[in-house]
Amino acid sequence: MSFEMWAEKYRPKHLDDMVNQKEIVERLKSFVKSKNVPHCIFAGPPGTGKTTAALCLARDLYGEGYREHLMELNASDERGINVVRETVKTFARSRSIGEIPFRILILDEADNMTSDAQQALRRTMERYTETCRFIMCANYSGKIIEPIQSRCAPFRFTFLPREEHDKHIKYIADCESVRLLPDGTEAIFEVCGGDLRRGINTLQAASSMNKPVDANLVYSVTGKASPVDVQKMLTTAINGDFLGARKQLRDMIQKYGVAGSDIIRQIHTEIFRADIPELWKIKLAGIAGEIDYRLVEGSDEEVQLSALLARLVEAGYEIKK
Amino acid sequence: MYAAWAVKHKPASTAEIIGNTEAIKTFSNWVNSWSKGVPKKRAAFLYGPPGVGKTVTVEALANDMHMELVEKNASDYRTEDAINRFAGLASQYGSLFGGKRIVLLDELDGLTGNADKGGVKAITDIVKTARSPIVLIANSAYDPRFRTLRSYCLLIEFKKPPASSVTKHLNRVCEREGIQADENALKFIAQRSGGDVRSAVNDLQALAQGKKRLTYDDVSWLAYRDRQESIFNVLKMIIYGRTSYGAKQAVDVADVDIDMLFEWIYENAPAHLTDPHDLAQAMDALSMADVYRGRIRASQDWSFTRYVIDYMTAGVAMARQNTEVHGWIPFKFPSRIMMLSRSKAERAMQSRIGLKIRRKCHISAARASKEVLPYLKIIFKNNVQMATGIAKWLDIDAEMVEYIVGNKAKAGTITAFLR
Repeated sequence: MSFEMWAEKYRPKHLDDMVNQKEIVERLKSFVKSKNVPHCIFAGPPGTGKTTAALCLARDLYGEGYREHLMELNASDERGINVVRETVKTFARSRSIGEIPFRILILDEADNMTSDAQQALRRTMERYTETCRFIMCANYSGKIIEPIQSRCAPFRFTFLPREEHDKHIKYIADCESVRLLPDGTEAIFEVCGGDLRRGINTLQAASSMNKPVDANLVYSVTGKASPVDVQKMLTTAINGDFLGARKQLRDMIQKYGVAGSDIIRQIHTEIFRADIPELWKIKLAGIAGEIDYRLVEGSDEEVQLSALLARLVEAGYEIKK
Repeated sequence: MYAAWAVKHKPASTAEIIGNTEAIKTFSNWVNSWSKGVPKKRAAFLYGPPGVGKTVTVEALANDMHMELVEKNASDYRTEDAINRFAGLASQYGSLFGGKRIVLLDELDGLTGNADKGGVKAITDIVKTARSPIVLIANSAYDPRFRTLRSYCLLIEFKKPPASSVTKHLNRVCEREGIQADENALKFIAQRSGGDVRSAVNDLQALAQGKKRLTYDDVSWLAYRDRQESIFNVLKMIIYGRTSYGAKQAVDVADVDIDMLFEWIYENAPAHLTDPHDLAQAMDALSMADVYRGRIRASQDWSFTRYVIDYMTAGVAMARQNTEVHGWIPFKFPSRIMMLSRSKAERAMQSRIGLKIRRKCHISAARASKEVLPYLKIIFKNNVQMATGIAKWLDIDAEMVEYIVGNKAKAGTITAFLR
């Protein structure tokens, strides 16, 4: 077992190493081949390889010295307009030395940028296209202003499918000589839903216990890391306690940083398992779908999801009647 | 049962009233002078800004002197007719049971327009012939309508008490309610109130009710508030609004920006809309308001703001179809924002660790402290070897290790390995 974060250790280094997002990888490879990259938006849920793809692209493009041609900024940490004015501009306008005439700026979690900053960015992008290409990574592309979207090639990243997820997790377990039982792999997928970073972190935390990793161990680890008890929240809502359910939702989002898309996916699964009349299941699924869509368009995950909770309260009330 | 503290802890005696000592003395001397016969001025006109203790002074003095208090306010004397109905009270010497009587006409400002003109005249007539002390109360005595009336009255001005006195009063209320309050918290409320004791007490209640302890952090958000139209009134206009238009108006009187107002509504609407259908409807309206916020962000077209406002105000107001109003439910400060301002030290530590993780893991410090830190905590608690490796790899110091492990002894073994 090695003693660093496995999610980093096993982060693919080249586009060829990437196990998933095949179509995206193919397109990116064609960029490398032609030695030209447009401005890009990498949109998709967490842990699906957006940042990895951007880093791999840069490495394949510039070779091992790629760091000199690359800047990584994280909008969540530096989302103000001043960063765009100063840092980004300075980087964007300086010419790249070498074969490729432009540098690459990876702007991670770009959907967390204020719209003012995005406006400023739009002008910078336009002015310095010659010398700098932007890759914006975001969970929701809808939160990036349209003028920027229209200047970028869009790439939609999706959760890893089951087989690819399992393959990768098993591969890491093998390399680290961790005894991973089949139900352990299954549990990791169930809990992390194809978010590979979380999956790997879960695997590592579970193996730190020095026990074979089975479903129980995975559940106990994730229970401690993020008590995302969607089922409990659902029950609270259906029993009519809206404020209680909203509090649980808030804890998930604020304290444990669970993504809204994750929560709604789990709610959707739970609806069909819940002990409610069949007719209601499809009704609630429809409402979940509507909220899922609004989540993409809207700006506040908690607000959207609590609207769904209120519908659950309503359903619980109707069912009892 | 909910009782307004401003009423519950009203001074029972003039001795307890803060500020305006001179005014109270003048007033009390004038009332006393009635025992030696009808004085030259048969009415006292107390005027001054709201919430400084005008009514309270009259009530407390009547109490101190064991006098009967006959209280009327604007709605009771809108017309000459209505006034004549109780004019008799003022024309008699004392009450039936031999005690003395004070007739109080409160909220004189409430008389408005031509219809009430006769009202002021009727009052003037009563004052001219009164045989019991009459007290008039208004915010301003210098309104032209009161010109004639004024000349028959002893004018007594009430001023805003200094913040230090208001603080003292708040302190007393806290003591009676069994709340331990920080001095600077009360000072802050007092200063914000601008000398309006009643609203200061109302604020105190909204902030402190149900708590054992009131800290500065609990109150500092009051800075968002305006003296003219407090956010509570704005919320009332929205959550209890009867018309779409009225609810929408609330935005104009609120002194917080739309996003902050949204937070207030989002926090408070559910507790005030207990019927499940109404609740679902209101939350749906807020969800749509948020969708429009998203659309504004995406399109940069701020004219969509009007739909945000429609949904968050009228949408919420019109959700009330079945919920019945039961008593008064206090409004709460948005707890989402409170959550953010809490535990600053802990968050500082988390973000320091987050920054360390960021350097290695291509993830924002904010996300790292949410997504990676919880796993680190498990690893550090269970596996000293792995913990040591990761600590080295992340280059974190002993203090951070201790925070992650949450246990000094264990942190010691890890840091020992680090060295």
